[in-house]
Amino acid sequence: MPVSGIVVTCVPASAESVALKLAQLKGVEVHGVLPDGRIVAVVEADTVDGEVELVSGLEELAGVVSVQLAYHNFEQI
Amino acid sequence: MGLTRRDFIKASAAAAAFAAVGVPVVRPKGAEAAEAGITWGKAPCRYCGVGCSVLVGVKEGKIVSTKGDPAGPVNKGLNCIKGYFLSKALYGKDRLTKPLIRKGNKMVEATWDEALDLIASKYKEAIAAHGPDSVAMYGSGQWTVQEGYTASKLMKGGIGTNNLEPNARLCMASAVVAFMNTFGSDEPMGCYDDLDLGDTYVLWGANMAEAHPVLFSRLIDNKLKHPKVKLIDIATRKTRTTKMADEYIPMRPQGDLAALNGIIHVILRDRLYDEGFIKEHVNFKRGKENAPYGLKDKEAFNETPADVKGLSFEEYKELMKQFTPQWAEKMSGIPAAKIEELARVYGDKSRKVNSLWTMGVNQHSRGVWVNNLIYNLHLLTGKICRPGENPLSLTGQPSACGTAREVGTFAHRLPADMVVMNEAHRKKTAGIWGVDPNKISAKVGLHTVEMFRAIDRNEIKCIWIQCTNPFQSLPNLNRVRKAAQARKAFIVVSDIYPTRSTEVADVILPSASWVEKEGVYGNTERRTQQWFKMIEPPGQAKEDTWQLIQFAKRMGLGQLFPYSEKGMHREIWEEYRQFTIGNGKDLAPYQAYTKVRGLRWPVKPDGKETRWRYTEADDPYVKKGEGIKFYKAPGNKVNVWFRPYEPPAESPDKDYPFWFSTGRLLEHWHTGTMTGRVPELKRAVSGATIELHPEDAKKLGIRNRDLVRITSRRGSIVLPAEINGRSTPERGSVFTTFFDETKLINELCIDAFDPLSKEPDFKKCAVKVKKA
Repeated sequence: MPVSGIVVTCVPASAESVALKLAQLKGVEVHGVLPDGRIVAVVEADTVDGEVELVSGLEELAGVVSVQLAYHNFEQI
Repeated sequence: MGLTRRDFIKASAAAAAFAAVGVPVVRPKGAEAAEAGITWGKAPCRYCGVGCSVLVGVKEGKIVSTKGDPAGPVNKGLNCIKGYFLSKALYGKDRLTKPLIRKGNKMVEATWDEALDLIASKYKEAIAAHGPDSVAMYGSGQWTVQEGYTASKLMKGGIGTNNLEPNARLCMASAVVAFMNTFGSDEPMGCYDDLDLGDTYVLWGANMAEAHPVLFSRLIDNKLKHPKVKLIDIATRKTRTTKMADEYIPMRPQGDLAALNGIIHVILRDRLYDEGFIKEHVNFKRGKENAPYGLKDKEAFNETPADVKGLSFEEYKELMKQFTPQWAEKMSGIPAAKIEELARVYGDKSRKVNSLWTMGVNQHSRGVWVNNLIYNLHLLTGKICRPGENPLSLTGQPSACGTAREVGTFAHRLPADMVVMNEAHRKKTAGIWGVDPNKISAKVGLHTVEMFRAIDRNEIKCIWIQCTNPFQSLPNLNRVRKAAQARKAFIVVSDIYPTRSTEVADVILPSASWVEKEGVYGNTERRTQQWFKMIEPPGQAKEDTWQLIQFAKRMGLGQLFPYSEKGMHREIWEEYRQFTIGNGKDLAPYQAYTKVRGLRWPVKPDGKETRWRYTEADDPYVKKGEGIKFYKAPGNKVNVWFRPYEPPAESPDKDYPFWFSTGRLLEHWHTGTMTGRVPELKRAVSGATIELHPEDAKKLGIRNRDLVRITSRRGSIVLPAEINGRSTPERGSVFTTFFDETKLINELCIDAFDPLSKEPDFKKCAVKVKKA
């Protein structure tokens, strides 16, 4: 099951509401919200396909500027 | 309950993300143990021209993990969404693993010897009967420096033809010509640091948020931190970039030529220019006008020195008087008041202004002119060669700069800004290559569009394509595909997956990709990045350099490549490097690159890189006290060109009433050979769609996802409509992407090209649109 660490950049005013939305998604854990509107999260899914579907969806959320990937482990674990 | 290995991996993932945003976190004990057995190596990303640094984790011969490289100055620990597919791109089920030879309609397995012997015999036969100009090679800005260098030496110094082209002709050629005719040297004076240091960014027809996401994030970081930062998006389509811009200025296709001239008119009229800078650094020129569009085969157009007229500043000002803001409004659709405002933005001495552009400007029937006009803005206002204020031409492929441009794998180029037409350049090249100077032909080879047309004309008998997919990506695709299918030439394709090009090949060769081999890439900001081989290629796949050298041996040219098996990449580098020393394009010894995350050339004698060219503040070629010196330009003076408006090759009319434009999106890259392999990408954005403006759609009775037939004078395709999706084109125009191999979009595109750069215009032709 792959795991990735991502950074979600938000319009600062929307960061809190985006973080709440992320936290409710299955497979997304919010690890922190920075004062400048960036959110650190960990994504996991059954397959890389599932991860990407999740992340592509985040890009479409209101208030999200971009989603970037810091770490990706897709060893069979 | 104790922490599991999975928890530790998750802790590592979170720690990496925190580190990337500048928050150091200590990983719990055990996280390192969870990553035990993984060996990490550095490599530039395989995809675009941004050149992000990636850490690749290998375990038991397979890639199992990737990280944005925290030590990578380009991306500072973060990758875009394509980062998810880096490793999987190599592990698709249909990887090519054996050479294949055509037998009638079938491709049958062959040994390397059989395949290479066949290729050599076909090349020899063609050369014996029709001369060296009857054969060709078509490579790519995805070639490593070593691959491109080997190809150039083989074709130009060995076989003796300049019929060598990169797919960068379809991508960067207009930028190159403008760099050469303005500054006398290719590639930018500025660098990515300008994205962090400036306060005003004008995007000319570039959807940076999707095409260059990591750079766009840097720009947005700057903007979120500094309220003064302003982002102006001038485009023909509302995109994700628009969402983040302070201002969106819609423009008619080809309107950039008029808008830029209008802005320059105001800068001159209102004396917003920097007179001192102009006096010291600028010449004014007028070139050849009323240029053709290259639609006829072999149509020749060149701007020779005899065609260029020098102008005084006064004469130039006089000529520019015709391009009033009112005229610019009429031609570009941008209101005159907005043209005035933009002139004041560029002319504002308190603003650090940057211009950014890519395919919208380059894939343009007057692409060189638009590049020239953007440079004019910066040269007239003196906003150039200073930290935080520069024009920056963005590239599309990972080594379009390092390989196609610096090594010079174009039909007219030799390494380090040299050209085949120049006798001294040929002599210098022949000296380093150890060949007779007469072997290098003075005749410019066929540029890409003509090269493939020449197949149709039965003039090119053999062509070898490596690392690219022209039978999907060329314009007026029907013509070249029909010629190939009629077996008018012997076609060799080296690639890692089956493509629309391998399907027309006579021989298919399985290649090694990315970290399956050692290599060097050069990115947009002159950064040269090296990586080592980390995993074995699958089956019998071999790197392109090996393929070329084995072929050379069979052509009796093996002596040109006396490299050792183990040190080949280093030895090729050191040989190539000789071209760059002492002429402002200096590269470092190979060893230096193995340790760092790239160096931007010219590399200084002390081994340090250069961030800004032509300025005493940073460039080792400019002495203290000289300020800014354009030392590669004749007389140290750069050119401001008078470039008027000329219409595109084809505009909408009664029969074909819509503009048709093509481009990219975030999730796919180029023709989808690598990103298309990845099922999840296909799911996120499954296939090409046609974007329409909602009002146009309503008028045509088209609803979202309805099938729509789009027809040009060259072809016709059916695509699902996308209305109010991620992007929206302006009224009267439709847009689609070219990655989808099941839809050959480029059958619709006109093969008109820029007369100076020979780069086709994929952004403008006329179509009709109907519910299917």
